[in-house]
Amino acid sequence: MTARMTILLCLLAFAASACGSAQTERGARPPSPRPPAVYTVGRTLLGLPGRESVRLAAAPLTPLAGWLTPVAVPSPDGRSVAYNAWRELRDDDPALSWQDQGISPGDPLARPSIRLHDLDGGTDRKYVDGAFSLAWRGDGAIAYFKGADRDYRAGVRYVGDVFVRDTLQGPARRWTEKPDRYVVAGWAGSTLLVYRVGAGESLDVLALDGPGKSRVLASNAGLVAVSPDGTRAFIEHGPESGPPRVDLLAVANGGRLASLDLTTVDPSVGVVGYSGDWQGDLVAAASASGLALFRIIGDRIELAQTLRALGQGIAEPRFVGADRVTGWTSSSSGGAFVDCDRASGRCARAVPMPAARGAEGFPAWRRPVYNPSRPQEGEA
Amino acid sequence: MRIALLTALALCWIAAPASAANGWWTFDRDTNLDSTLTWKWTYPPSPAEYSRSWRGGSGTTMEECEIGRGWLPAGWYAQKGHWDHYDGSKVKGRVWWIQDKTCKDGSTRRTELFIHSEETASNGQSCSSAYDDPFCWEREADYYSNGCIKLARPSPVAGFPNDLGAAHATYHDYGGKNAHGAFDPADANELYVYS
Repeated sequence: MTARMTILLCLLAFAASACGSAQTERGARPPSPRPPAVYTVGRTLLGLPGRESVRLAAAPLTPLAGWLTPVAVPSPDGRSVAYNAWRELRDDDPALSWQDQGISPGDPLARPSIRLHDLDGGTDRKYVDGAFSLAWRGDGAIAYFKGADRDYRAGVRYVGDVFVRDTLQGPARRWTEKPDRYVVAGWAGSTLLVYRVGAGESLDVLALDGPGKSRVLASNAGLVAVSPDGTRAFIEHGPESGPPRVDLLAVANGGRLASLDLTTVDPSVGVVGYSGDWQGDLVAAASASGLALFRIIGDRIELAQTLRALGQGIAEPRFVGADRVTGWTSSSSGGAFVDCDRASGRCARAVPMPAARGAEGFPAWRRPVYNPSRPQEGEA
Repeated sequence: MRIALLTALALCWIAAPASAANGWWTFDRDTNLDSTLTWKWTYPPSPAEYSRSWRGGSGTTMEECEIGRGWLPAGWYAQKGHWDHYDGSKVKGRVWWIQDKTCKDGSTRRTELFIHSEETASNGQSCSSAYDDPFCWEREADYYSNGCIKLARPSPVAGFPNDLGAAHATYHDYGGKNAHGAFDPADANELYVYS
């Protein structure tokens, strides 16, 4: 049994057990609501097998990517975690306009970075400055977006390129052809899937097959998940360019293998969100009323189940074992996990470390730590 | 004498040049498809406010922190610039580009935000396909956006009101900046999005 297999099994075993620090915020209908297997609360990393908690040097945050990409990604060998950090260079009050705060176009506001935390040695170092969003391939290759300028500036598009290194210390090779706003989403086999963020925050999913080999996989779309074998992508389209739908695409050539018009299924689904999960033949995605589970049968998509979590916008749903799906939702205290039981169809909130305080002026965000890239050992 | 003075003052008031007005946008979020964009203005030093409103859409969800999907976050915005013939890949024509904004979670930044419609850079319509053209306002769902505020306009295939044209004219007539292009510094005519 390899180290990766061991870690995977440990994670699954951990996921199958209750996490003691969870607290039900309202109505404990499903038993023992719990957070995902591995997660962050502010600067604290929790849920790693054999470790109570790990203190990171900075709070994982993805201000320029939201939950288009994970806030932190475990390495394929389980020895380290790469995460997104964000250092504010000056205050920016969300209630006020930049002009009212004396912020002029071009003023530096913040600097993103990708950090590496070595779980064995406990070291925590800046990996790439002026960078955010990363994907870790099963063989250890790492991809990330790096800005042309290190600083995010007022009124200036934060453009840059996507770079890939075969190993952590290997030379960085630029895979994108020209600077633009990119967010790295994940690997699908040897193809890297990234978002291109355009005017109006339009999202295109690009497939990068190598340096200078870029193609649009899906326009005006979001990536829900990559199939366990890395060959197919489950894509969502919102209602702004036609009836909302989900598509199953072949990553190799972009061919549409299947499609489901969401106006033809349970109306509670409405639209589905990006950054979901794929386990076996099931895909989990955030929906208008909670979560939607889709079943992939050959080249057909069908709605398998809806899980109601009314009043809670759920992000980054993840399968936890065969019975549960967890996601997270923002709250005034910095976020809570939403734990849905597939058998009962009910969801409850879990707030680990409810008294946790945030870092660097931010609330104590609670986010899952995961690797959306596929294939992963033991899964395909 | 008093009546003559008041009449003269009233005439001056009515004839006040647009540059004497001070205007700003407000956006009252109700639903993704049907919210309200308003241009408000005053004639300083009078505090009296005047306004005109239009239906506006924003986002496809009400989660303001959801990049590329949620509606416009609450708060004050500076205007980055105003163009009559903006020619971006996804946004064209008469547009107002507004600043990035941190959403309610305190960290996520919404970016690339505009007030716009679906029209060509030359303010025309490009309606050729059977269902949805990105630069043709042909249906109710065109009010949806990735986060921007969108206003309707007429097209050869649908009879929506000319809200973009009216908002554009009102902006220029009542206190909006005359200049076009990127503003440096950002325009004092701001946008306030109600929470």
